[in-house]
Amino acid sequence: MKCKTLHKDLIFYLDNELPIEKRKEIERHLEMCADCRNFYSFLQAEMQIIGKEKNPEPSPFFFTRLSARIDERPDFRQQSLWNRVAQPAFFSLILIAGIYGGLRFGSHASSGAIHQTSSSSVQLLNDFESEPIESFLLDQ
Amino acid sequence: MDESELIKGIQQGDHRSFQTLVDTYQRKVVNTCLVIVHNTADAEDLAQDVFLEIFRTAGNFRGEARLSTWLYRIATNRSLNHIRNKKRKGFFQSLEETFTGGKNRNSEISENGDDQPDHRITDRQRSDLLHRAIDHLPEKQRVAFTLNKYEELPYQQIAEIMEISLASVESLIHRAKKNLQEQLYECYRKKCV
Ligand SMILES: [Zn+2]
Repeated sequence: MKCKTLHKDLIFYLDNELPIEKRKEIERHLEMCADCRNFYSFLQAEMQIIGKEKNPEPSPFFFTRLSARIDERPDFRQQSLWNRVAQPAFFSLILIAGIYGGLRFGSHASSGAIHQTSSSSVQLLNDFESEPIESFLLDQ
Repeated sequence: MDESELIKGIQQGDHRSFQTLVDTYQRKVVNTCLVIVHNTADAEDLAQDVFLEIFRTAGNFRGEARLSTWLYRIATNRSLNHIRNKKRKGFFQSLEETFTGGKNRNSEISENGDDQPDHRITDRQRSDLLHRAIDHLPEKQRVAFTLNKYEELPYQQIAEIMEISLASVESLIHRAKKNLQEQLYECYRKKCV
């Protein structure tokens, strides 16, 4: 095995990701090549840094600061309230108003017989009458 | 309290549910940001932004993904945006310095071993070198590698966070390791620390 070949696989050797033959080959080379051995120690020490940097101590005031940021931005709370309650209520109201208006208009148009020219739209509006209002709300 | 109860609580504006969420995930979120931005104060600010975003948008959470997947995704995206903005600022700053005759900062791995022969490398130097090497990885390789190595996340969850296939994650992490090894070998050869 050449030094160059070893340098390509050493990081996978460190992570135990190589087949057994390849591992053995690398170990044989490391035993007799001081330069590769040095690089191996260097690489190993570098990768061990990851373990030392993992999981830093959390800041004790993290949540206090976070709460303060939420409190100083009242729009956060209002926004969540709007999303939760006001927004669905608002759209339900519009929907109900629309359905009610449609029914009123529909019944007016069919009973009034003022202008029968747009009979297809009257037919369409009359269809609303045959369906219960609850089904519209359930679809939402 | 399980995840769905936690989310339900936050959606209803329950302060204690939100605090439980922060207590549970604070370390993970700060660490994820820190690995990308390498600055504790910035990482904590970004982590706070992540939790604020969760607080604001909890109503949109549909529960198809794990809560931690959602948190990691926001944390990596915000951290990457942060360094992109910083780089942009740095670019204009270095332009300004070029015109005003100021020093041009260079983040490349530099050779400085010649004037310090036979010295012991400190953990701080090793850590700086590793960060610079990780910073030189293409973004996707960097994210996949750090989530796997620092957060010890399985490939499947990384695939969900990054919204890519499992095979792509494998390939990204493999290439990241190869790239890191090459950079570290260059440094070793030139005695850069
Ligand atoms: Zn060798």
